[in-house]
Formats: sequence, structure tokens, C-alpha cells
Amino acid sequence: MECALDAQSLISISLRKIHSSRTQRGGIKLHKNLLVSYVLRNARQLYLSERYAELYRRQQQQQQQQPPHHQHQHLAYAAPGMPASAADFGPLQLGGGGDAEAREPAARHQLHQLHQLHQLHLQQQLHQHQHPAPRGCAAAAAGAPAGGAGALSELAGCAALQPPHGAPHRGQPLEPLQPGPAPLPLPLPPPAPAALCPRDPRAPAACSAPSAPPGAAPPAAAASPPASPAPASSPGFYRGAYPAPSDFGVHCSSQTTVLDLDTHVVTTVENGYLHQDCCASAHCPCCGQGAPGPGLASAAGCKRKYYPGQEEEDDDEEDAGELGAEPPGGAPFAPCKRARFEDFCPDSSPDASNISNLISIFGSGFSGLVSRQPDSSEQPPPLNGQLCAKQALASLGAWTRAIVAF
Amino acid sequence: MAGAGGGGCPAGGNDFQWCFSQVKGAIDEDVAEADIISTVEFNYSGDLLATGDKGGRVVIFQREQENKSRPHSRGEYNVYSTFQSHEPEFDYLKSLEIEEKINKIRWLPQQNAAHFLLSTNDKTIKLWKISERDKRAEGYNLKDEDGRLRDPFRITALRVPILKPMDLMVEASPRRIFANAHTYHINSISVNSDHETYLSADDLRINLWHLEITDRSFNIVDIKPANMEELTEVITAAEFHPHQCNVFVYSSSKGTIRLCDMRSSALCDRHSKFFEEPEDPSSRSFFSEIISSISDVKFSHSGRYMMSRDYLSVKVWDLNMESRPLETHQVHEYLRSKLCSLYENDCIFDKFECCWNGSDSAIMTGSYNNFFRMFDRDTRRDVTLEASRESSKPRASLKPRKVCTGGKRKKDEISVDSLDFNKKILHTAWHPADSVIAVAATNNLYIFQDKIN
Repeated sequence: MECALDAQSLISISLRKIHSSRTQRGGIKLHKNLLVSYVLRNARQLYLSERYAELYRRQQQQQQQQPPHHQHQHLAYAAPGMPASAADFGPLQLGGGGDAEAREPAARHQLHQLHQLHQLHLQQQLHQHQHPAPRGCAAAAAGAPAGGAGALSELAGCAALQPPHGAPHRGQPLEPLQPGPAPLPLPLPPPAPAALCPRDPRAPAACSAPSAPPGAAPPAAAASPPASPAPASSPGFYRGAYPAPSDFGVHCSSQTTVLDLDTHVVTTVENGYLHQDCCASAHCPCCGQGAPGPGLASAAGCKRKYYPGQEEEDDDEEDAGELGAEPPGGAPFAPCKRARFEDFCPDSSPDASNISNLISIFGSGFSGLVSRQPDSSEQPPPLNGQLCAKQALASLGAWTRAIVAF
Repeated sequence: MAGAGGGGCPAGGNDFQWCFSQVKGAIDEDVAEADIISTVEFNYSGDLLATGDKGGRVVIFQREQENKSRPHSRGEYNVYSTFQSHEPEFDYLKSLEIEEKINKIRWLPQQNAAHFLLSTNDKTIKLWKISERDKRAEGYNLKDEDGRLRDPFRITALRVPILKPMDLMVEASPRRIFANAHTYHINSISVNSDHETYLSADDLRINLWHLEITDRSFNIVDIKPANMEELTEVITAAEFHPHQCNVFVYSSSKGTIRLCDMRSSALCDRHSKFFEEPEDPSSRSFFSEIISSISDVKFSHSGRYMMSRDYLSVKVWDLNMESRPLETHQVHEYLRSKLCSLYENDCIFDKFECCWNGSDSAIMTGSYNNFFRMFDRDTRRDVTLEASRESSKPRASLKPRKVCTGGKRKKDEISVDSLDFNKKILHTAWHPADSVIAVAATNNLYIFQDKIN
């Protein structure tokens, strides 16, 4: 299939679509946004694989010039042991393509930071997995302050953009959560394809990895229990014939009852099970998790702390708290931020600045809507949106949040 | 009047010609968004044709009875009733506007003189009763002819009111309102063969209703994950089996169809049958997920087959074979190389519907440039026709159209780049018995009939 657009413009277009869908009449269309997120994932995979290949090639060249003891350091990053992280984070901290050589010393430093970020991210994922608070419920429980958050509670998230190391931990073949086969065959060195296709059984030949590391996502996979979202394994749910209220035992309710405040019409929906909706009511006594708001918010808050390349930013950023207090209902974001942003990333193409602008919008807007904590102690100093597109692509957190914002 | 088996003749055969019959709707270039037709549906007998539009209105056309003195009228459809079904609403709790656009209309089988239909927007389903009134009672005791109450002291005698004929008036009244059961956007409704229940499906859930009960519904399918970040697919369409009241199917955005049996459990999360055609890895692209998303699923009248529509093709499935479809018909394969631009202009998200003819021997679906396609399953022939004002002369035959995919463009062919992607035919309907089709082209409704009739 010929495609006139490269991965980056596809990403930019997709983000624009997601952003504009927030203001479209009729509310956010879950189906369309899900499909757009698939395109985002595909484009991002291609982009990442290309960048990783570039980085690898450049490092190969460097290794030939560097003294031996430096080589170890490089290999540590290029080793198959951590291909997943490298594919996700690795090549994206390159500066502009043209002056790559000039930035090579910085690239190593950035790689190191990304590695750290990745490790932290993994740990956060683990933490989340071990305490599986249904995010949707948490947002619903926490959703009162922002009117838009009511929409968030139900429409949050899209698995297509969850970090690849998130999915396999659950022990389920959740396809879009694995990096699928790259759309185009790329002349990649052996470790890279393995990074891209750790578990997809339908990976095409282009992804054949002679040294496919089975431990592509080892630490997290081993550590986290298969937190199955499927209800079948949950005790206390009765799935026989039409359930009688007494059959539900532990669980509180098999029904959702809605009172329409406008027409005073009461509607009851009987369910086989209704775990997430029940928890969403935030006062479900039988749910052991109660209102998982604070824990989740802190996790969400934590994710924002570490951004790669922060030291690259200038110091005169605006107060992040101002952005955090975005009004509910999704008021249009001030366009003035765009101008400021371009000051900081002069080497980005116009498309890249659009991407980063949107990412920044999502980043700031989302935290303001979902996190219940006033951005006081947790205020990430330079995070008000001064991100370069490449950094945005590097940080998976931004992606997840961009979609979870819906 | 009814053709033998209606539509049994080959769709593109020599002895069968589709001809223009009527067009409804305004002609101006400037189309108001509210006038765009969003659903088309014949009733069980085919005498009534209902359309819903983005403005929340329902217009019902009725077929004129065959008139021997006017043989050429051949059963024209004329406006029978118009009413505002849904109004725009605002959900204050979620700060969401609820569109009044009619997503689907489904008729109930007729049981008495009145007609009933279900119409739905994104959140609320309504049962409408359409009844005729052609008599009026006169001679009331307590009130005058103009309705004013009479002075009781003036009433000295009793009389029985008598019915007098009046001009036919068609009234539509909402009999039931089924609200507050869907968090996500409703995409389908389907009346069960038991004529007592129906299902409504949104992106993540399917609910079962009883037509008499509005404050309670049963959730029979729920694919919402515990963590919304794990969401991988949504429900795109659902339909009850035409004869087995316990069986329904629903399609997903991943190109799969699940058949469920309500007898197996209260919550039909586990399907009884799973229909999926394995993806061809060589045709993988950025947009593979989008074009494999199923936009419509329809059982055949016999109940033995079903048809699914994704972006580029229409597939006919045998209910007894889950591994692959029985037939795959390419609707507009020439668009495969244009997916990038179709993604940019959002056309790739268009949801085309499909329909069977009365005898299940032919299927029809829409395309762009006001083209629609018919596939004859028996002769394996297909034809592309156009719904346009130019070919709208009474009883004019429709000329088959052809899209040139590359190389030299022959005369009368149209090249892919000249296609008008704003003129899309998403909704079509086929008369349940006769060779009459209704095609919705933006704000116009075209009715075509075959020449034999």
C-alpha cells in the first residue's frame, strides 16, 4: 500500500483527530477514537523502529571508533537484554537528524536517562498491576470535580497505546498491546525486530529475530501476577440463569439503576455482573478496593514526574498549576502556548511542534482532570508542555494519558 | 404486482433492469446537516418505508395501492407521516450533548390497524405508534362542536355521538420511552422474532428489553474491560436471528462476529460461535484495523446466512462455518491505495450498511460518488449503479457505472480521483418481497424499481 504520509505526519494527524473529537457534538465517539489509536500505535511503531535502527547504526559506527571500555557502555544499551525498553525509548532522544554527530555525546546521556525512566515506568506498572484498581472506576470516583471527568470515567483509556510491557504481564494474548509486526520491512539489525515483536505469533518474516530474547519483558512479567480483568475468575459472581438477588452473595448488586434528573425516569439494568459499575458508585461496601482514588492518582501523578530531557528546557516556564486547573468540560486550550513552545524547539519541524503541542495539551489537561491531588508537592516543574515531539514520542506515559483522557 | 420471489432475477442480467422511480428530498446544493438521512427501513410488508435523519425526524412513506386506471403509477411511495422523534439533549452530569440523530429505525410486525416502530438516537429508544384517524365523533353531550363546554342546565336531552368521516389524519404518538440504559452510543436495535422483546447495542454493552417495560432492561453482553486502557474492541452492530428467538449476533471493530445463545447463560459473554477470517499478513498497513472493522451485520431472511460489511468488502457467512466466509465481494477495492487520504478526510470511518433482497439471492451496499453496488449470489455478477439527479427521468433505466482503476480511462468510466467522497451512500433498503429498493444519498431518498414490474 502506498502511503504518501510518513509516520510522523500520521501521528500528527491522528492526534489532531483525537483532540478535535473532544469538542465534537454528541460526545466522544469511543469507536472512532479506538481506531485512531490503532493508527497511532502502528505509526509510532514504525517511527520507533526507524529511529532505533538509526541509533543502532550510529552506535555501531561509534563503537568502531571508541576505545574498548566505552564499548561496554554502548553495548549495555544495545544489548538484546533490554530490547523492549530500547525500542520504546532508545532512539528517540536523538536531536535533529542533521546534527546527530554533534549530539552524540549527549545521546548516550539521554539513553541513560531513558533507561532510568523506563525502569521507573516498569516499576510503576508493576505497582499498578499488583493493586489493580479499575482505572475507570477510580476516575469515576474521582470524577466529581470536573464535569468532563464523568466522561473520562467511562471513556478512559485505550489498550492500543499501553506500553508493550504492560500487556504480556497479564498472561493474556492481548494483541494490540504487543508491538505488532512493523508495517514495512526494515533493514534492522537482529536485536531490533525481536524488540518489536516479542510475542506476536503472527509476526511476518520481516520480524524474524534469530536471537529473539524470550525475556523481552522479563522483570515485569515475572513479578506481576496475571491480573486478569476477566470476571470469570472472580469469586462471588453468579453466572447461572437469571440471577436472584440472594445468589449474589458477596457482591452487592446485580443492577444498575439510573434516575434521570430531568424526567425523573428510573431505569434499571440487570446484569450478570457489574463489578466496575458497582465500584464506580464509590460507595460499594463489598468491594475491597473501596474508592481507589488516592492510590491511583498518585500513580498517575508519579508518572508525570520523570520526563526525559528536562534539563534541555529553559527555565522560564509557566506555572504548571495553571494548566492543571483546566476547567471541566474541556474548554479549548489557549493557543498561545503554541508560540512559546516553538521557541524551545527550534529544530523541530512544524508537524513535530503540532504533535508536541497536542501532547502537552493532553499531558497538562489530563492531570488536571483526573488527579485529585492539587498539584502542590507533586508539581513537576518544567512539565507544562514544553516538550519536543521526539521526547513526546519517547515517553509512553504521554500516550497512555492522551488516550486515557478520553 | 409482487415479482416472483422478488429480486430473484439476476441483478445485472439482461432481463432485469433497475429503473428510476422516485426521489424524495430537496434539490438544492446546500444541504442542511439536519436533513441528511441517517437510516432507511421498509416494514414487514413493504408498504411502509421509514427514514430517519440527523435532525431527529422520522418520515414515513406509504405505497399507493395499484390502480388499474393508472397502471404506470406502479405503487409509488408518498409521504404518510412525519414527526419529530428525538430532540437534542444535554447530559448535565457529564457535560455531554446527546445528538438527536436517528441511528436506527426498526418496524414491529403489524398486529392491528396501527403500525409500530422503534427509533433510537445515541441514548434513548422510543416506541412510536402510527395510527390513522379517518372518522370523527360528533354530537357530544357535554361539549360543543368546537370543544367548549356546554352549560349543564341547557342540556335537556341525551344523544349518542355519531362517527362521521373526516380527512385522513395520521398520528404518531410515543408509546414507550426506553431511556438511561446506555452509557455509550447506541449503534443497533433489533426486534426479536417473539415480537415481545428487542435488543439495543452500544459500543460495549447489549441490553435486552421487553417492549412493555421501560424501567428495566437486562444486560446480556458486556465487553467493557475492568481497565479501560485495555480496551481493544467495541461492538459495532447486533441483530437477532430472524426465527430463533434465543440467538443473536454481534460484530466487533476487530472484524469478528459472535453468535450468542441466550439459553446458555444470562450474560452472554461467551459466544456460541465465533466468525473470523484470518487476516492476510501481506496486506498489513497502518489502517488494517480500521478497514477490518465491521460496520453492519445482517441475517438473511432464511436465517441460514448472515452478511457483514467492512470498509472495502461485503462477506456472506454460513452460520455453520466459522472459519471463513462463504463469499467475499469487493465493493471498492480501488480505494485500498487511497486509505491515507481517506483517513485524512475521515471517510475511512464511514459506516456502510448492507441488505439482502427478499429471496436472499442478491445483496446490496453503498459506496462513494453516490454509487451503490449489487451482487447476485447465484450468477456471481455484480453491478455498480448511481443515484443521481441526472438519471432521474421517470422509468429511466439505470446505466451500470464503472470505476477506472488505472491506465487508460475508457469512455463512460470514472477515475478514482474524480470520485466525490462527500456523496456517500451509507443506507440502503430492499423491499422484503418486490424488486424495489430505497437508496439514501445524503438528503435525498431514491426509489428504484425493476422494469418487469
